[in-house]
Parts: sequence; structure tokens; C-alpha cells
Amino acid sequence: MGSEGAFSAQKRSSGALPTANAAVNGGARGRAAALLPRGRQMHKTFNNIKITILCGFVTILVLRGTIGLGNLVSSEADAENQHLTKETDKILDEIRSDKDPSDPDEAPVRYLSLNDTFSLGPRISTWDEDRKVWLEKNHQFPSYVKGKPRILLVTGSQPAPCDNAIGDHYLLKSLKNKIDYCRIHGIEILYNMAHLDKEMAGFWAKLPLLRRLMLSHPDVEWIWWMDSDAMFTDMVFDIPIAKYKDYNMVIHGFPDLLFNQKSWIALNTGSFLFRNCQWSLDLLDAWAPMGPKGPMREEAGKILTAYLKGRPAFEADDQSALIYLLLSQKQWLSKVFVENSFYLHGFWESLVDRYEEMIEKNHPGMGDERWPLVTHFVGCKPCSKSGDYSVERCLRGMERAFNFADNQVLNLYGLRHKGLVSPNLKRIRNETAAPLVNVDQFDIRHAAAHHTTEPRS
Amino acid sequence: MVGRLLGPRRARQLQRFVRNGKLTIFCLFLTVIMFRGYLGAGKFGTPEKDLDDIRETLSFIRNRAEPRRVLEEALISGQGGLKSAENAGAGSNNYAAFDITKIFRDEDDGAEEFNRDPSQPYSLGPKISDWDEQRAEWLQRHPKFPNFLREHKPRVLLVTGSSPKPCENPVGDHYLLKSFKNKIDYCRLHAIEIFYNMALLDAEMSGFWAKLPLIRKLLLSYPEVEFLWWMDSDAMFTDMAFELPWERYKDVNFVLHGWDHMIYDEKNWIGLNTGSFLLRNCQWSLDLLDTWAPMGPKGKVREEAGKVLTRELKGRPVFEADDQSAMVYILATQKEKWADKVYLESAYYLHGYWGILVDKYEDMIESYQPGYGDHRWPLVTHFVGCKPCGKFGDYPVERCLKQMDRAFNFGDNQILQMYGFTHNSLGSRRVRRIRNETSNPIAMRDELGLLHPAFKAVKV
Repeated sequence: MGSEGAFSAQKRSSGALPTANAAVNGGARGRAAALLPRGRQMHKTFNNIKITILCGFVTILVLRGTIGLGNLVSSEADAENQHLTKETDKILDEIRSDKDPSDPDEAPVRYLSLNDTFSLGPRISTWDEDRKVWLEKNHQFPSYVKGKPRILLVTGSQPAPCDNAIGDHYLLKSLKNKIDYCRIHGIEILYNMAHLDKEMAGFWAKLPLLRRLMLSHPDVEWIWWMDSDAMFTDMVFDIPIAKYKDYNMVIHGFPDLLFNQKSWIALNTGSFLFRNCQWSLDLLDAWAPMGPKGPMREEAGKILTAYLKGRPAFEADDQSALIYLLLSQKQWLSKVFVENSFYLHGFWESLVDRYEEMIEKNHPGMGDERWPLVTHFVGCKPCSKSGDYSVERCLRGMERAFNFADNQVLNLYGLRHKGLVSPNLKRIRNETAAPLVNVDQFDIRHAAAHHTTEPRS
Repeated sequence: MVGRLLGPRRARQLQRFVRNGKLTIFCLFLTVIMFRGYLGAGKFGTPEKDLDDIRETLSFIRNRAEPRRVLEEALISGQGGLKSAENAGAGSNNYAAFDITKIFRDEDDGAEEFNRDPSQPYSLGPKISDWDEQRAEWLQRHPKFPNFLREHKPRVLLVTGSSPKPCENPVGDHYLLKSFKNKIDYCRLHAIEIFYNMALLDAEMSGFWAKLPLIRKLLLSYPEVEFLWWMDSDAMFTDMAFELPWERYKDVNFVLHGWDHMIYDEKNWIGLNTGSFLLRNCQWSLDLLDTWAPMGPKGKVREEAGKVLTRELKGRPVFEADDQSAMVYILATQKEKWADKVYLESAYYLHGYWGILVDKYEDMIESYQPGYGDHRWPLVTHFVGCKPCGKFGDYPVERCLKQMDRAFNFGDNQILQMYGFTHNSLGSRRVRRIRNETSNPIAMRDELGLLHPAFKAVKV
């Protein structure tokens, strides 16, 4: 259509507008043009060019307005992309926004003031006895199975989509990673996506959740809380639960940092075990008061920053609050096992680059710095818009940790990743018509039971 | 020449008239175009709509070549999650601008040591003929891994999965995550183990065929598993209380949702659904997988097989062979060999097509309660055709995602009620309390009895 404008403009020297000067019409006839003096001919040519440009301009404007040829070389795929992206962005914003049209108009949030008291729930004081009675009445739901106490691994993430797509992808991979470990070790898993208590939001959300789960599942002996940004990297290592028969809480930390330096990172609440008993309920009750959002959390944050070494100024977090609690109220420490003989929590920065070295020199089952049980991506926050570390380093590290662990699972099937950053697999063992020999040798559950050579990753 | 015919003055007049006419028509045309563009001339549409229409038709033609229900292509080429702008640099802390596919890299020499010989016809693996015996002997040697957890309760492994690369759709991974959580919840209640697959075991069997080598591999690697339950990633559990009637299946090896008459009489391509099925771990199943596989290998084989299937099956559109049509074909043409061990279940929704279910959730809540598993309270709501991870689905994105949220919340309410909570509404992420905390938690009962259900009880 555009070419028409230019073409017809070229056919006549007159403009496209109906108000063209009739006198100019005369110049269109070639024979007549030859008889006119040079000057007038140039003038006419100049006019023609002006009109051509004007028509061309108008045509392009019209085209842009109607068809939207913004990107002159937009291919069909690009257009599809843009269309889809626009549509999903719109829906995404709707999904991510906190507003929910079907929710009744909520009263503006009223934070607890410093004078209020907060409690996780009605005080319970006979939980050990209640639990014992229940277990006796319900033999089909024992708290020990095959001599091992029942463990429930609890993790979770926000109910809304992450601020970036990649965050959800790594939540998915992290969950698969936990499922794999739990299937191998006979641990149940619960993934929470609900905010049970609006006041205990953020990292404090685990407290009401833990309490609720303990009370609803008296048959669970230990609850293992694990952050969503922590991944298992040793699929063979079994928690030495027998070691903790006299303790009620197992948490990774360093006694020196805790007692001597009062450091705010002396313990890590990203991965810890909690026994289902009265002591734990009492600890939760003592731990909770620094949590409620608003002035209580702010004030508590100031106290913690003043008390603990190295803590920056921000609102109270559960980790600092626990350290403060254990140091200031002495009655708890006797039942808390500060574990550092294996990486119940392993800070990722010093681990992710060493995986190849570990594969070469060590083997799974060690659980410590030679082959960490858990690689915890503290500070990466892939679900938020940005984290405390470089994005590339974080994501590369997470991919490597995931594949490092996945190799240990795939070993049973005779496969492994083509490198720690590759989603593609290669075969490492031929298929066979007698697969059960390999099952006995390479399945982590059977290999451990039969004391055969531990599988090499 | 016209001039010679009519005379000079007339000729000139005619030419002028023609020129004016051309001018007028051209201006009229421009005006109409502009009006269409800015006001949208009603049923005549706008040029943008024209282009959209053209695009849609082309993509529709392309889409019809794609299957209706799809498992993720594990090797989606290249393009990562978001169409990203320039990477803001290695030191950037901002996730939105980062393209994850830059990280993925194969780090081996590329030499494949243990590969299938391409000159041989495709097979899933070396032929095994004595699997029942091998397995029985293994089970005897491993009394700690019995294939039955209790009388009538077999050990079941639920298998699902998705691509190891981020979804092309930015919210796709979020819905995969929710769907995964939903399956974890059901399986925890029913003492079923889960395997989430993110590996493409065989590049030739890509797309929906990828489940075949996976299923075979899992059957052989977990001899203690009695039933393998395959479930698509776009299927969700919506009845947490329904326990499968294992007794009914004690003499069969393959359970799918479908109707006998639609397969054996009509050869209808949607007479059964391979998005959710049970397969027993036995020799019969290995043989079935071997019979099923030949239509799968990518390329000419799959294309040709697709033509055969379209010809033979009722209602099937033209596209490459898919595993569901292939199964219909096998059962219909080899009925004597397989049918006696195949159970086409239609008494409950082992697979429930979402289109007819999702609008009725509120009615169901009002009139019924969990535990039926059928049209009154479906066990599974399967979002066939939605493809939340990919770019193109068969349905509008908004309907799919909103309904997936509702189905998720519908199922999640049954989990949350155990702990005294429920979603504010089926469309809301927020939860509210429905039972107060008490100082005597032991006495608290959840209405559905899902905290300590009979189907989870351990053999004493």
C-alpha cells in the first residue's frame, strides 16, 4: 500500500492531496515537459520529489499506526514472543500482586505494640505424656520404624511466584533434590506454601509451622527444618541419629563462635533437627517473642545487634534470636547439640568450586568438608529480585550442586551428567539383561545394608 | 492514441478526469485505511488484526501438527526462560537480566562410550525374558524391601517429571512447583514414594515418548516396587482422601482411565489416557513396553507411524505418533494378547479432563466431600493441552493458569484442614484459620481423618 502512494506520486507530479494546483498537472505529460525551459523543469522535479517524500512519509505514518511495524525486521517468532510475553506479564503481575479480588476487604494491618504479648498458641504443658498415651493407643502409627525414629523434613517457599522465573526453577530443582535424599533415607517430606501466621512472616514463619506440625503429628519423632535454598550434596550420608538420643535439638554451629565470641553466625537455623517433645514447645515459646512484625521485631533487632558480634543493624531474625536465647537463658543448652562434625549446614561459597576435587579424592558418605551433606546457598535469594552475591556465581553454584548430587542418584541407572553444569546425560554403564546385580551394588540403600564398596560418584 | 480518436481537447479532458479519479480513489483508500487503523471498522477488522489472523492461522497449522497432550520436550533448543536483555555483567546481583542458558555447557569430550547401535532397529534395552523369576528371587533375598506394605497394599512409586532447563514461560516453573507439592502431599498421605525425573534418558525417545525408557529403567532398578504410577506434570490430585482400590487390580497389570467400547469397538484415539496410569512391575509390562516403543523414535519412524495411527484410529488429527494413540492401536489390534491384563477404569477419575471439572469445584464443596474420586469429587484434574511450561498451549493462558490455581487450592484445602486452615477462596493464595488452637491438641480431629488415615498405617 505504501508503494502505491509513492508510485502514484511518481506518475503525476501533482501531490496526493485533492487540493493540488491544477496548473502543475500540465507538467506530467512528457512531451510538454521537454518544451519547458530548464529552470522550470528543475523546479518541477523538485516539486515532484517533495511530494513523493510527503506521500511516503504519510504512508509510513499510517502503516505504523495501523499495523505497528515498530521493529522493521520483526519476524513472526519475535512477534509471537512479544505477544506472549506481554500477555503473560500481564497475568504474572496479577498473579504476583498481593491483592486478591475474592478476599474480603482486610482491615489495615495492626502490628503488636511493645506492650502486647505474643504467643504461638495456648500453653501446653503435658505434651510428653499426651504423646505417649497417643502412641500407645495408635500402634499402627509408631514413632520408630525398623529401629529408626521417624523424621519429617519440612521446607517451603512463598505462595506467590518468585520475582524472577529462575527462582522458581531452582526451588523446583531444590525440592527434587530433597525428595531424592528423603526417598533414599526413608524420611517423609512436607513442603509448605502457606503463611500460617501473618505476624510471624519471613524467616520467622517456621516457628508457628513447626509447632503446628509437632502437635498434629505425635508419631513424628524428629522434625528437620531445611531452608529452600539448601541442597543435599551427599546422598549416602545418614544422619547419626543415635548420637542424639539425649538431646532435643541438633543444629550446625561452632562452640567457639558461640560461647567465646557471641557471633551472630555461631549457629545456622537453615537446617536443624527438633525433637517432638515438651522441651521443644517450651523453646518455641521462648524463641517467638522477638518475631512479631512491627515494633517488636524492630526493637528486638536493636538488642540483638548490640549483643551479638558482627551483626548488622536490621530487624530481628530467628537465627540471632536463637543464639541470644541460648546464651542468655542457660537452661536450654544442655539439650542442644551443636554439631560440626559434618555439614548439617554447609556454606556454599567455599564448597561449590571444589566439587571436582572431591570427586577425584573422596567418595560420598563422609558428610563433612570432604563431601558435604548440605550445601546451603545463604544470601543468594534467587526468588527475590537480587541477592547478596553475584547472580552468575550463585546460579552456577546451584546448578553445580544440583548436578553433583544428581549424579549420585543417577549412578544407579548407569548415567551421569556431562559435566557439573550440563543438563545432558551420558551413559556410564551398558544396559544388561541381569540388572539386579547393579541394583545391589549401586542402590545406596542396598549398598549400605550389604557393606559392599560405597558407590563412587 | 486516445487523443487521435477523440480530439485534443476531449483527450486532455479525459486524461485529466482519469488523473483526478486516480487521485480521489487513492485518497479514499488512504482514508479508509486510517479509519480502520484508529477506529477499528467493526466486522471488517483492522490491519493489525489481519496480521494477527495470518499469524494465528500459520501457528494454528503448526500447532495442529503438535500433539494435544504433551510431556515436556526435554531438549528445548536454546532459548532460555525470559527473552533477556543484555546480561548486566558477571558481577551483577540482579536476577531478572540474567540468562541461565549461558551457564549450561557439556563438559566432556563428546565421545559416547555406551551407545545404542544405530544400525539396529530401536529397542529399549537388551531383551529380558525371566524378569518375574529374577525379581522373585531378589525379593526373597531382601526381606526388608517387601513389595507389599500390608495385605492388599502394594508398594507404589509415583513417577513424574519435567525438563532440566527452565521453562520458556516465566510462570511455568512456579506451576510445576505447585503441581509437585500437590503430588508430594497426596503421596505422603498414601505412603507412596515419588520419583521426579529431570533426565532425558534417550534422545531418540523425546517428548511424550521419554516416559518409556524411564519407566523401563525404573522398573528394573526398583524391583521392590509393585506398581509404577506414571503421572504427567500437568495433572493434579484433587481428592486427597481417595485411596486407589488396589484389590480390584490384583489380577491385572495395566490400569488406565478409559472405556472398553471406545478402544475395542471404536478405536477412538482418546478412548484412554496415558497421562496417569498404573503399570505392574513384571515381565508382561516389559513385553508391553517393548511392543509400545517402536513407534516412538524421533524422525521418519515417528512420522510414518503417525500416518498409520491417523488412518487407523477414529478422530485422530494428523501429527506424528504419540504414545497414547500408539497404545490405543496396540490394544485394539492385539486384543487377544493384552486385553485380559488391561483394566480400563472409568469408575473414578484416574485421569480427569480439566475442562469439565474446574468450574464445578464450588458445587462439589457444597454438595459432596472428599473420598469419592469420581465426578462428585475427582481424584485427578488433568490440565491436558495447557502446557504451562511451554510457549504455545491449546487454550488461553489466563484460563489455564487461573484454573490450575483453583485446582491446586481445591486439593490444598484438604491438606490445610488437617492443620486447621483453609484458603480464603479457591482463587486466593491466602489462608485463614478454621479451627482455633487448643491446649489439648491430641483431642483435635481433622474432619477428613487425613492426619492418621488407615491407608497410611504401618503393618504392626
